This record gives sequence, C-alpha cells and structure tokens, in this order.
Amino acid sequence: MNYEQVIGLEVHCELKTHSKMFSSSAVTFGQKPNTMINEVDLGMPGNMPVLNKRGVEYAIRVCHALHMDIDELLCFDRKNYYYADLPKGFQITQNQRPIGRNGYIDIDVDGERKRIEIERLHMEEDTCKQFHFHDFSLLDYNRAGIPLIEIVTRPHIRSGKQAAAYLEKLRQILLYTDVSDAKMEEGSMRCDVNISIRPFGSDKFGIRTEIKNLNSISNVQKAIEYEALRQEKVLDKGGEVLQETRRFDETCKKTVVMRAKGGAVDYKYYTEPNILPIRLDHNWVIKIKEDLPMLADERVEKYIHEYGLSSTNAHILVASKEISDFYEETIQYCHEYQLVCNWLLGDVQAYLNKNDMTINETKLTPQYLGKIVQFIQDNIISSKQAKKVFDELMVTGKDPEIIIEEKGMKQISDPSMLLSIINEVLDTNEQSIQDYKAGKDRAIGYLVGQIMKKTRGQANPKVTNQLLMKLLKERISDE
Amino acid sequence: MITYSIEDLHVLFKNNQINPKNYYDELFKEVVFQQKRLNAFVTVTKDKAYEDLKDAHFHSLLSGIPFVLKDNYNTKGILTTASSKMLSDYIPVYNAHVVDQLKKAGCCLVGKASMDELGMGGTNKTALTGPVLNPWDSSRIAGGSSGGSAAVVASGLVPFALGSDTGDSIRKPAGFCGIVGFKPTWGRISRYGLIPYASSLDTVGAFTRNIRDMCIVMEAMAGRDDRDMTSSMREVPCYLNNLTDDISDLKIAVLTSVSDEIRNPDILSNFQFVVKTYKKLGATVENVTMPVELMRSILPTYTIIANSEATSNHSCLDGIKYGNRQDGETPDEIMIHSRTDGFSDHIKRRFILGNLALASENQERMFRKAQKVRRLIVEELNKIYEDYDIILTPNSGSVAPLLEDANDDRLNDEYIILENHLCLGNFAGTPSLTLPSGFVDGMPIAVNVMGRLFEEQTVLNCAYALEKVLGLANQYSREG
Repeated sequence: MNYEQVIGLEVHCELKTHSKMFSSSAVTFGQKPNTMINEVDLGMPGNMPVLNKRGVEYAIRVCHALHMDIDELLCFDRKNYYYADLPKGFQITQNQRPIGRNGYIDIDVDGERKRIEIERLHMEEDTCKQFHFHDFSLLDYNRAGIPLIEIVTRPHIRSGKQAAAYLEKLRQILLYTDVSDAKMEEGSMRCDVNISIRPFGSDKFGIRTEIKNLNSISNVQKAIEYEALRQEKVLDKGGEVLQETRRFDETCKKTVVMRAKGGAVDYKYYTEPNILPIRLDHNWVIKIKEDLPMLADERVEKYIHEYGLSSTNAHILVASKEISDFYEETIQYCHEYQLVCNWLLGDVQAYLNKNDMTINETKLTPQYLGKIVQFIQDNIISSKQAKKVFDELMVTGKDPEIIIEEKGMKQISDPSMLLSIINEVLDTNEQSIQDYKAGKDRAIGYLVGQIMKKTRGQANPKVTNQLLMKLLKERISDE
Repeated sequence: MITYSIEDLHVLFKNNQINPKNYYDELFKEVVFQQKRLNAFVTVTKDKAYEDLKDAHFHSLLSGIPFVLKDNYNTKGILTTASSKMLSDYIPVYNAHVVDQLKKAGCCLVGKASMDELGMGGTNKTALTGPVLNPWDSSRIAGGSSGGSAAVVASGLVPFALGSDTGDSIRKPAGFCGIVGFKPTWGRISRYGLIPYASSLDTVGAFTRNIRDMCIVMEAMAGRDDRDMTSSMREVPCYLNNLTDDISDLKIAVLTSVSDEIRNPDILSNFQFVVKTYKKLGATVENVTMPVELMRSILPTYTIIANSEATSNHSCLDGIKYGNRQDGETPDEIMIHSRTDGFSDHIKRRFILGNLALASENQERMFRKAQKVRRLIVEELNKIYEDYDIILTPNSGSVAPLLEDANDDRLNDEYIILENHLCLGNFAGTPSLTLPSGFVDGMPIAVNVMGRLFEEQTVLNCAYALEKVLGLANQYSREG
C-alpha cells in the first residue's frame, strides 16, 4: 500500500533575554552550575513570579514574523506535574490563551512552494538541567526559568524533507528576529516530532508516535524517514502502530521506544493566580512590529532589487545572519554594493573557511572593509594592494588607512605630480617615442614600467596611462 | 513586664523612661513563662531581637518595638517551618517583603509563632509543635490558623504580630483572643515570601490590641513591591493621621443573613448593642440580606478553591531541593516518600480533594464551578457596597471552643453560615477587621467590619469609633 506521512512539529526555543522569564536571575550559558539562581528558580516556598517584559516582546516579534494573530490579553496558566527537574512542582505556561495563533511559514521544497500552518505560539519557562550518572543524578538550576517559546504546527508536513525545510526557515526567523541563538546542538532550539501515516487518499489520521531527543535538523529528517518506514512495515504486516514516545538513537540511526503513552499525565491546568491578566498596550504591540529587524526574505528582495546583486549572491549573503548583518553595516560606509559583496563572499569567506572562524571572531570590522573597498574604488590602491592590506589587517587589526600609509602604498593620482615624472621618463627615452611613432605599441608598456619604477609602483595606472598617451601624442605632433 | 501599646512604648523608649535592654530582658523572661502556658512559639529569636535592638534609634514609631511573625513568613537564616514536618528543618535564604519592611521600620523580632500546618486549619491543633492555648482560658483554643500570633498579642507579650488570612485565619483567632485582627485588601501588602496556602485568597495582615497601633503597622507594610505583581501601585494613605471617630456620614449594612444565625443569646444581645451603638454614633445603619443559597455555598466554594490552589502551591515541597527528604531508588520515589512522611493526614486529605477538583474530568463541575460561585457571591456583595460603606457582622457564633471540642468540621447547619462568612472578605479581596465587642462567660467575643476594596481607612475609622465607646482597647490576659 502507498502511504502518506502526517507530521506536526513542536519547537521549543530559548529566548536570549537578560533575565529569566519570571525571575531576576541572569540568563547565561556555560556558567558554573547553580550560580545563576535565586529563590524563584529553586521554587523556594513563598516565591512569586514577575513577568519579564523583554520576554513578551521577543515572543511578539516572532508572532509578527510568523504572521500570527496576537492575543493582547496576556494570561498564564499553571501546568501541574511532579518531576525532578521541575522546581516549583508546576510550570508557568500559556494553555488557554497562547499569545499567538494562526501563523504560517512558506517553504520551498523541490521547486515547489508550500505553506506550513502554525497553530499556536506560547510563552513558558524552562526546567532545570539533569545530568544522570550510574547511581546518582545532578541538577543544574541555571537553566530553570529561562524564557521559552513553543511553536506548534498543524499536521501539514508530509515528509522529512519538508520538516527540515520548515525548521531551517523557522531557525532563520528566530535568528533574524534576534530573539534566540537557536542552536539545536546546544538545546537552545528543540524539536519534537509527531508522526503518523495513512493510506493515500484517506482523510483519517493514523495512530501517531512522538519522537524526542533530536539534536540537529538533519537528525529530524533522518528520524522522520526512519519512523515513517518503520510504521509502514508494521502496517503492511497487519500490525498496529502503538501510541508511544520514541527517541532517535544517533549511533544506529533508529528511533527506539522511550515510554508507552498509556496513562497520560493530567496536567490539571488552571490560571496562574499570581499573575493577573495583563492588557497589552496595542500601540506597543504595533511598535514591536514596526521595529522588527528585516527578515531574510526581505533582505534578499532588497539585495536583488535595490543593490543589484544576483539572486544567488543575495541568498548566500543571508544564509548566515552574521555575514548579512556585516554586509548591511559595511554598506553604510561604502555604497559599492557589488564590490562589498564580492569581498565578503570571496576573500573574507576564504579567510573564514581557512581559519575556521566566524566573521565576528576576526579583526575585520565593517568600517575597515568599507574603507578597503572605497580605496580601490577611488584608485588609491590597486586590487592587488588591497589584498595585501587585507592580509595585514587580519593579522594586526590595524586601520587600512594606517597600513597603506606605513607601507607607502598610496597611489599617485595627482596629474600635476605625475606629469613631471612622465616628462622626465619621456625625456630620457627618446627611442621609445620613436618606436611608438613607428607603431610599436609595446613601447608604451616599457614606458609605463619606467614610470612605475620611478614611483615605486605608486603611480595610479589608469591616470598614468591617460597622461602618457596625451603627452606622447603631444610630443609626436610637436615634431 | 508591663504591657504597652506601640505608641506608649515608643514614647517611653524615646524619652529614656525605660531602658530598652532591661525591657527586653523582662520580656524574654515572660516569653519563657507564656510559652509554657500557651505553646505559642515555634522559635524564640532572642539573639535576633537583641541584634535588631542595636540598630534601633527610637525616633520613629516602630523603632525598637518588639513583634512576632507567623511561622509562614520567610526569615533569612531563621527556621521557618509553617508548622509542618515537611519544613521542620527549613532555613530560608531570603526574607519575605514584609519582614524587610518591618526591619527597615526598626522592629525587633521576638519569635516565630505557631500556626495550623501550612495555614490549613482553624484550630491551631494541627501545628507540628502542638495546639496553641487561649490566653483567657488555657483549656480553650486560640483559634487558627494564626493562633500563635493571636496568643502572643493577647497575652500582652508584644504589641503586634503578623498573621496571614486565607479564609478567616487572622480574624477568627483575633475574636477568640479579644484583640484586633485586620486583613486588608488583597494586593495592599506584598505577599512575596509568605509561604502560600491559596494565592488568590491569601492576605498579609496583623494583630494588635488597639486600632491606632493597627494603623501604624499597616502603614509600615502596605505598598507596591515589584516582586509581587499583584501588589497595588496605589499610594498608601497615612492611616494614623487620617484616623477619626466621626462616622456620622458612614452607611453601615448589618448583614442579617449572618446575624440571624446567632443561637447564643448573650452573643446576640452583644451584637444588638453594637448595632445600637453605631446608630447612636450617627451612622446610618440598615439591615441587608444575601441569598441564603449563596451564603450556604461559601464553605464548599472556599474548600474547593483553597485546596485546589494549595495542592499546586505546595507541590514545590518534594524533598528534592530542601525540606524533609526521604530516601528512594528513583526521583519519583524520593518525592513520594518525602511527601508521605512530611505531611499529616489532614493535609493529605486536602491535597487529594484539591487534586480531585482540578482533575480534567472534574474541573468544570468542581473547580470552575466554584470560581463561578465565587464571582456570584462577589457580585452580590458589590450590590451591597453600592449603597453602604461597611458591612457589619458578628465575628463568630461562639466563644473560643474547648480544646477537645474544637475541630474543622463546620459543615453542620448551626455553623454553615455563621462560622464561615468571614471568607466573604477573601472572595472579594475586601478589607475586613475584627475587634473585641465584649465578654460572654469570661471569654472575649467580637464583631467584624468589612469595607470596599482599598478603603482601609473607612474600616479603621469605623472600628475606632466603636473601640472608643466600648473601652476594650489594649486588653490582654497574662494568666487564666
């Protein structure tokens, strides 16, 4: 039988706010365990939540970017359950009224555009981190209370490839709205997959499994592909898919059972009594939309239509937000859109690849790159010299202007200065003038070489050529 | 030791008429005696009191004044048990907001007072350290859940103590002990650091022996605290400066749905006397009623809401991070064993009830229905407040019960309304004050005045006028 895959994704994403969702502890990563905590994060008796306004703002940013309806009455609920990683014995979340509803992301897969509908986006808080050892476990509460948003799609995804495309696009949005690091490997973006299969043409849902523990987008795709195949085999053999939670085992590339779904937990949701409903200022919500950083798709449009870049180059630039941001900033200093792009995707990218660095880890700044490009454009240095300046800059971090000064690279473009030098050269090379007159073009090459020798290569070639031709013609006609 | 009001003690300290150190020496001698008699303390914080006293300058009203906290207020470095085995070794790392406020005002902490376990009870018989006895008759209870706080004020040890009030946990014991008990508006005082019972009902409040002292204590604690989002931004009035006994323009509603339930003739005639007094003072006094079915549903509504919130509020007590941890093979086992061992049976019953009411299959017909009934009751109260400033009721239908008779089963007909109506103030969040109104069989009895949201001043004025006529201010009982 031919089957269709029915897939829905739940993505949790940590927000990079300064403080936690409901406490004043700092949000940090890589700190010593249990140092970024207070009585709220530990669920000490008597603690009370205080809502982080920045967290709400970030959630609204993402809602806008996902084209969602925003609920301007902010309500929070308690999700009650017992678990070792849950400090308060409940999680503050939004069950009844998520802040965002009915959004979408358009994805392009195999040349086809598909709209993935998003059911809801809600805010909540992270749990503490558990480290399990042979006969004991350790808990790190630094993570407890870090703001999370959960983004849930409708079951509209039909393949692992589509799921991967959706996640790539979502990740890009989370990065471009500047709300999260969105690193799946580090857990700041997490994805759970709900997947079932059904015979093509059927409108009923099959029994679904949930897959957890996915630490990369490619693993999400692999897990879906494996799981769909597994479910097909079960059904083809006349068996039944069990409703269960599975995890993806990276070493054997299989999904394996974590726990059966039977006896689901009743979370006994009810309204958080310590946060009364908050009526958001409509103007604030609108302002967040107006102030939204430009997203990748919009940047591509701008690069093509305003800056005249090719579609390929535009897409390569936005593939990394860091590079795209660097580009945007550089062109504030230098309006040579194409040249800046060429430099970024050429020499700069080559340097990054060679040294395995990100652009913000290097000594290059947008202002310096802008200067280099502008110097080339203004004929102050040649492209060849520019590469030398770049190499020096990446090592020393010196201002290109200073490097040029120090290395004496500055081109002589002043015609009055060049005129006297050229005349000197012509005066001492009568033979070459005669050669030129006789139609021997290579005489020009020789003369230029002499001029360069005299100026130690600093003569601007373009201006030199123009002046040389002019003077040669004058001398010939004078004769 | 001699018992003084806050104002008197302040003047004596300020003018060097008594030596503070000597006063505290005598106070702690008396504490030892009263503790043997009443069992009101969980912890006596003698060292802390002397330490606080070092910082006292005696220039402001509360500077150097001794006080006691109910044991559900977090005190940094000082045992805070909420009278539960679960927290029997819990030493907080932080202070409750009001603890900081009172420290700033210069108060000196004398001790932490016994209470019903986690605030869940009305007898103070469920405390880990045993029942608290009534200063007027030690064969009787002080009431609960803030029984220890009521007893230390009613025995004249300290001029004020903090309680907390979820159903009537300040006002009931205040009435039984013949002192003033005030639960202000929900949101008037920050609850940050108060170990909760039911967050939508819990209120920080206090016991004093007179209304003027109550004004002083309220002013020190009220106001916005950014750590409690439900605390109000409204400015705090100068309750003491604005206090007046002229209540000629007050409109008082006598809620006969409650007073008609009084069976004890002495208590009835006392209440009638209070009504007559208010008329004499020039207030407009009229009878009002509320639908009897709503009055009868106060207790079940309270039981469901309070226990549902409590079960979630107390989920943090799992033995993992602090508290009384028991061994187990898995984290689940640790939590189960810790909670099984740490809570007494009546707490477990309440948690089971709360869980039942919140379970998804019951939530609509239990928890949500209770919330709806709560709204109906509040709407009915608001109708009364359209025409009246104050609602007047008796505080209780009896004097403090004998220790062996006291229980929390108040479902029988005699008590269903009369012993539960003080919850109205928690449902609506309105300020509600209990003050002594006389004696029956040698035991104090009381009335309750309840005003509109944030109209603490009106409530205090109304009580002050009565206090002046009745002459029961500053009473206490050292022996008996």
